[in-house]
Amino acid sequence: MLLEVRDLQVEFRTRDGVAKAVNGVDYGVDAGETLAVLGESGSGKSVTAQAIMGILDMPPGKITGGEILFQGRDLLKLKEDERRRVRGAEMAMIFQDALSSLNPVLSVGDQLGEMFVVHRGMSKKDARAKAVELMDRVRIPAAGERVKDYPHQFSGGMRQRIMIAMALALEPALIIADEPTTALDVTVQAQVMELLAELQREYNMGLILITHDLGVVADVADRIAVMYAGRIVEQAPVHDIYKAPAHPYTRGLLDSIPRLDQKGQELYAIKGLPPNLMHIPPGCAFNPRCPMARDLCRTDVPPLYDVADGRSSACHFWTECLNG
Amino acid sequence: MVEPILEVGRLVKHYPLTRGILFKKQVGAVKAVDGVDFTLHKGETLGIVGESGCGKSTVAKMLVNLERPTEGSIKYKGEDITKLSGKALKSVRRNIQMVFQDPYTSLNPRMTVGDIIGEPYDIHPEVAPKGDRRKKVQDLLDVVGLNPEYINRYPHQFSGGQRQRIGIARGLALRPEVIVADEPVSALDVSVQAQVINLLDRLQSEFELSYLFIAHDLSIVRHISDRVGVMYLGRIVEIGRDAEIYDHPTHPYTQALLSAVPVPDPEAREHRERIILAGDVPSPTNVPSGCRFRTRCWKAQERCALEVPELAVPAEFRLVSGPAAHDSACHFAEEKQVVPPEATR
Repeated sequence: MLLEVRDLQVEFRTRDGVAKAVNGVDYGVDAGETLAVLGESGSGKSVTAQAIMGILDMPPGKITGGEILFQGRDLLKLKEDERRRVRGAEMAMIFQDALSSLNPVLSVGDQLGEMFVVHRGMSKKDARAKAVELMDRVRIPAAGERVKDYPHQFSGGMRQRIMIAMALALEPALIIADEPTTALDVTVQAQVMELLAELQREYNMGLILITHDLGVVADVADRIAVMYAGRIVEQAPVHDIYKAPAHPYTRGLLDSIPRLDQKGQELYAIKGLPPNLMHIPPGCAFNPRCPMARDLCRTDVPPLYDVADGRSSACHFWTECLNG
Repeated sequence: MVEPILEVGRLVKHYPLTRGILFKKQVGAVKAVDGVDFTLHKGETLGIVGESGCGKSTVAKMLVNLERPTEGSIKYKGEDITKLSGKALKSVRRNIQMVFQDPYTSLNPRMTVGDIIGEPYDIHPEVAPKGDRRKKVQDLLDVVGLNPEYINRYPHQFSGGQRQRIGIARGLALRPEVIVADEPVSALDVSVQAQVINLLDRLQSEFELSYLFIAHDLSIVRHISDRVGVMYLGRIVEIGRDAEIYDHPTHPYTQALLSAVPVPDPEAREHRERIILAGDVPSPTNVPSGCRFRTRCWKAQERCALEVPELAVPAEFRLVSGPAAHDSACHFAEEKQVVPPEATR
C-alpha cells in the first residue's frame, strides 16, 4: 500500500463543545489506483484529507489517535520540517476552488516555478521553463505567452488545470483531489477529469478523489469509501457497490438519484438530516435516518464487517441490505 | 391545449460596457440574454439547463422583474409586463414569485422566520390582513414540512435543506401562479436534494403552480420537468418535451452536454461515447457570428459562421412526426442518441 490510514481520529475543540469530525477512519490506496471518498458535507472526508496532507488547522483541530502510513512511514510521527519535504514533493493536493487557492498577485508562472525553486533549488530561469512545460502538459494553449498571466485572466477550467499542473510539478506518488470539478460546468468537468485520469495513468500515481457526486465516482474510481459522520460506513470495489450496496446509507444515496422509470413519481429521499458532530447519536450514527434500524443499532456501534474480499460494511444487518 | 401563462418573446438583456468617467461612452455590451423565446403553460414545469454564463439566471431575474429587459416582451396571461409600472406591475408581480439558489444568503439573518415568510404581506396587505398573518405563516411552515412552532427562530438555527423550505414558503406566501426556481437544490446535500424536489412536486399539484425550473443538474431537471430548454450563450438552442431532448437531441451542444454528464453506473464506463468539447464558452461580450456554438462545434462549416440558425423544427424532421421533430437551432441538426438507454436506467 502506498498510503494507509489506520483508525484516524480528529476532533475540533470549539467554544460550544468538541466536534468529532473523524472517528476512526481506515482506508488505503495503492500506486496507480483511484479511491473515491464519497460523503456529504460534514462527513469528515475533507478533514481526513487535510490530516493526511498535514494542513489541518491545529488548533482548533486535533488528531487524537491513529496512524497515517505513507510508503511505510507514519507521517504523524515526523517533525514539521520532514513533513514539509513530503508535502508537495511526494504528495500533493488539488482543491475545489482554484481561484481562491491561487495567489492573485503572483503570475501563474511564478507560482508553478516556485515549486522547483523551493524543493529542487533551481534557478528562476530554469523554473520558468519548467512552468511552461507543465502548462503545456495540462494543455493550456499558448503556454509560453500565458505563463506571465495572473490567475484572474484564466477561465475556471484553465485555473483548475493550473492547479493540476502545480500538484503534478514534482511528480508526487499520491494526489488528493478534494472536489476538483464541483465548481466547474459539466462540459469542462469532463475535460478536467479526463486530463486527471490520463496523467494519473502516465505517472502511476495513487489518487484519492473526494466527492459527493455519484456520477463522477462511477466514471473514474476503482474503489469507493463511503463516509458518514466521521466514519467509513462502506468500502468496496466500484462495480459491486453500484450493483448491490451493503449499507443502508449507500443504498439511500443511490436510490435518491432520479431515474427514468420513476418520472412523475416521488423520489426516494433519506429522511432527516446528517447528525450534528457534537452530538453523534449513540450506536450506529445513521440509525435515526435508517429504514432498517432496530434496538441493536441504537446501542452498539457497528464494526466494519467483512462482506467479501476487499469489501466491508459498518451495518449490523448488512446481509439484509445486500439482499435488498 | 392548456392556456399559456407566460409567453416570452425575443427577450434581450445587454449590460453596457462603458469607458470614460464624465463622458461615458458605450464601448460594447455583455450580451447576457440575446433573444430568448419560450412559453410556459399552466400547471407545467419548464426546465432550463445550461452552463454558467449562459444567461439562465438573467432570464429568471427578468421574469420576476428584478432586471428590466433591454428588448422583448414577457406576457403574463396575454399582458406584457415589461410595459407595466406602478400598481398594475405590483399586482402582476404578486403572481410570479422566485425561489433562490443559496438558502444561506437569501434569508436575512436578523429576521425571524416568521418575519421573513410574512414580509411579502407587508407589500401586499390585501392578501392577509394584519391579525391573520401569524396564522398564515404557520400554515405555510406546515405546508413546507417545518414545525409551525419554529416561527420565532432565526435562519442560522436551521440546516440548508430547512432554509430552502423557508425560502419556498416565502415564495408561496402570496399564492402565486408561477414560481421561478433558480437552482433551488444545487446548494444542498445529495440526501436532502430529493426531499426538496419531492416537496416542490407536491406543492405544484396542491397549489396548481407553474414552474420555471432552472438548474445545471440534468437528471434532476429531467425528473421534474415536462419540457426542457437548453441554453447556450444567451439563447435557447433546443427546446422540447423531456424525452425529446434527452433521448433524441438534435443540437450538437445538447448532445455534448448530455454525453458529459457522469452516469452513476460504472458499467456504462466502457460502452458510452463521450463528446469532449474543445475550449471554453466564448465571452458574452464577443459572441461569435452566425451560430454562437460554432467555435466549439465539431460539425461547424462555413454556413454556420454566416447564418444564424433559427430555433425551429429542422427541415429534415419537419415531415416526420417523431420525437426528433422539435425545435433545434442548428443548420446540421441530426438525431444522435448519446446516453445509452440502459445507462439512464
